[in-house]
Amino acid sequence: MASITLKNINKIYPGGFRAVNNVNLEIKDKEFVVLVGPSGCGKSTTLRMIAGLEDVTQGELYIGDKMVNFTPPKDRDIAMVFQSYALYPDKTVYKNMAFGLERHKVPKDEIKRRVDEAAKILGIEHLLDRKPKALSGGQRQRVALGRAIVRDPKVFLLDEPLSNLDAKLRTAMRTEIAKLHKRLDTTFVYVTHDQTEAMTMGDRIVVMKDGVVQQADTPHELYINPCNMFVAGFIGSPQMNFVDAVMKRKEGSYYLETQNGTVKLPDSRVNENVSAYEGKKIKIGVRPEDVSDEPGKENVLTGTVEVSEQLGSEVYLYISSPDGRITARVSPDTTAKTGSIIKYTFNMNKIHLFDPQTQEAVR
Amino acid sequence: MTEKSEKIKDIIRICILTAAALLFVAPVLIVLMNSFKEKLFITSEPFKLPSADTFAGLRNFTEGLRKTGFISAFGWSLFITVGSVAVIVLFCSMTAWYITRVKSRFTSFLYYAFVFSMIVPFQMVMFTMTKTANALSLDNPLGIILIYLGFGSGLSVFMFCGFIKSIPLEIEEAAMIDGCGPVRTFFSVVFPILKPTAITVAILNAMWIWNDYLLPYLVIGSDYKTVPIAIQYLRGGYGSVDMGAMMAMLVLAIIPIVVFYLSCQKYIIKGVAAGAVKG
Ligand SMILES: Nc1ncnc2c1ncn2[C@@H]1O[C@H](COP(=O)(O)OP(=O)(O)OP(=O)(O)O)[C@@H](O)[C@H]1O
Ligand SMILES: [Mg+2]
Repeated sequence: MASITLKNINKIYPGGFRAVNNVNLEIKDKEFVVLVGPSGCGKSTTLRMIAGLEDVTQGELYIGDKMVNFTPPKDRDIAMVFQSYALYPDKTVYKNMAFGLERHKVPKDEIKRRVDEAAKILGIEHLLDRKPKALSGGQRQRVALGRAIVRDPKVFLLDEPLSNLDAKLRTAMRTEIAKLHKRLDTTFVYVTHDQTEAMTMGDRIVVMKDGVVQQADTPHELYINPCNMFVAGFIGSPQMNFVDAVMKRKEGSYYLETQNGTVKLPDSRVNENVSAYEGKKIKIGVRPEDVSDEPGKENVLTGTVEVSEQLGSEVYLYISSPDGRITARVSPDTTAKTGSIIKYTFNMNKIHLFDPQTQEAVR
Repeated sequence: MTEKSEKIKDIIRICILTAAALLFVAPVLIVLMNSFKEKLFITSEPFKLPSADTFAGLRNFTEGLRKTGFISAFGWSLFITVGSVAVIVLFCSMTAWYITRVKSRFTSFLYYAFVFSMIVPFQMVMFTMTKTANALSLDNPLGIILIYLGFGSGLSVFMFCGFIKSIPLEIEEAAMIDGCGPVRTFFSVVFPILKPTAITVAILNAMWIWNDYLLPYLVIGSDYKTVPIAIQYLRGGYGSVDMGAMMAMLVLAIIPIVVFYLSCQKYIIKGVAAGAVKG
């Protein structure tokens, strides 16, 4: 069990590409941290540096209190699940799982006990004598997980371990891994590019983009208080709507003037940072569930329903308006039909404001 | 209709291949047949099966064994072949691993040097090499193993490199995380995966080293006779040859390599079809 600390970590690949840019991160003991971000943002690179498979170009990396920049992977006491499973093709499932323990001089009967236990947890007891070639993708996945969990390491590293599974198995394995974290009570670092996976599994989510950490927070905090437009757009499905506006002041209140109409900013949302945008451009961010198709008298906007998607428990309306396309997530009782004109409002207490230049949140 | 013509094509194909196979085995069979004939009849009627008159029993074999010192020659051949093949497989696989995994100018130069060495014919370096071998005291069975390592490494490194490229790097990384240093990673993880290729390499090298005549003849001469050299010594002075003994010894000489080949042949197919390491 150990914490992980990244201090000003940089990774520059030979050839000069900066894959990880000045990352600072404290991962607490026993925490489940998810690294998330679009493809190529440096998640795997970060994870591989923690594992010791990639040199740290600049900065300091600690596991526990120990600086491990120059410690080879075999001495870091970590276990890793690779995206491509990386099972030993010539060894049986049992041998695959036992291999790391043999290397760590665990007695034979203890190895057998642990492998059997892990196999039971993962439901692969009947596969122990097979070679990886004779397994399905999902089974290989579980063997790869099993190889890691028998080890009882200080730190668990998982690189998109579910990306090759079908949707159903993925959901099932998601809960399996979360349970595993509870059982093992170890530090987990989990890489994914799937924000749903990140939101459901992590104690804390680290959103990365182009090698830079954008925000590291709990899933809830990330959702209600994204620090910039990238995080706001990346987290949440369907994506947040962004609308251009100009801030105006009238009779002591602040109004946001969009192409489609003017909406009033509640007084509770006004502070120095916000009022500084008077007369200037500002971006409004609205989550689809904060767009309502049952408007009151105030702040009403109009648009045309382009598409309405029935999901059973809810309906997604894609509304075309002078502000661009607005996605609304409404109750299935909605009367809105494809092609009809619709009146809608934003839940003004829950909107997000961003600086159009820096894309940072204004709060 | 089409099915029938397919069948006919199949039959024709099988006939042609059978004929070709027979053509290839024929010399071996003729040698085998003649090894049981009296030596006088070998030259006069080489293609006839042994009959009551011509059958010699095992006399050719006993005669040959006595005349050639075959047992000791067999011992040296075995020693040189096994030794050379072992060092070739061991060192070439390690070299290939290094060349493939460590990317630098130096390693790509090494790679091309090995590939280039394949196209240099032995006859071109024969005399200078013999001289050098003598000067370095490599003119003994141990020394010749070193020389064979040199001659065998070109093809072997090339073959190993091709296969190692197809092994996902992540498997080795997984081994490192499981607690292996580079040496362990190689011997516990990489080498077992290489087994089919290693066996293919071993067979290819064993065949030519076992049968090689020129190199041991030039380098060690008659101090330590290998099987091909010992058989050659059956040619006495003035062109008199004990054909019976020679045929018998040739039969004995090809037996081990045939047995080795047959026992490993399923791996050869695997080694050639390799590259399908996944998962
Ligand atoms: N060996 C390398 N040499 C040079 N550049 C590399 C190397 N490995 C990765 N990169 C680059 O570094 C960046 C980050 O790569 P990384 O593998 O960390 O991305 P990722 O966030 O894991 O993406 P994905 O979700 O697609 O796996 C990418 O732009 C990639 O092209
Ligand atoms: Mg990746």
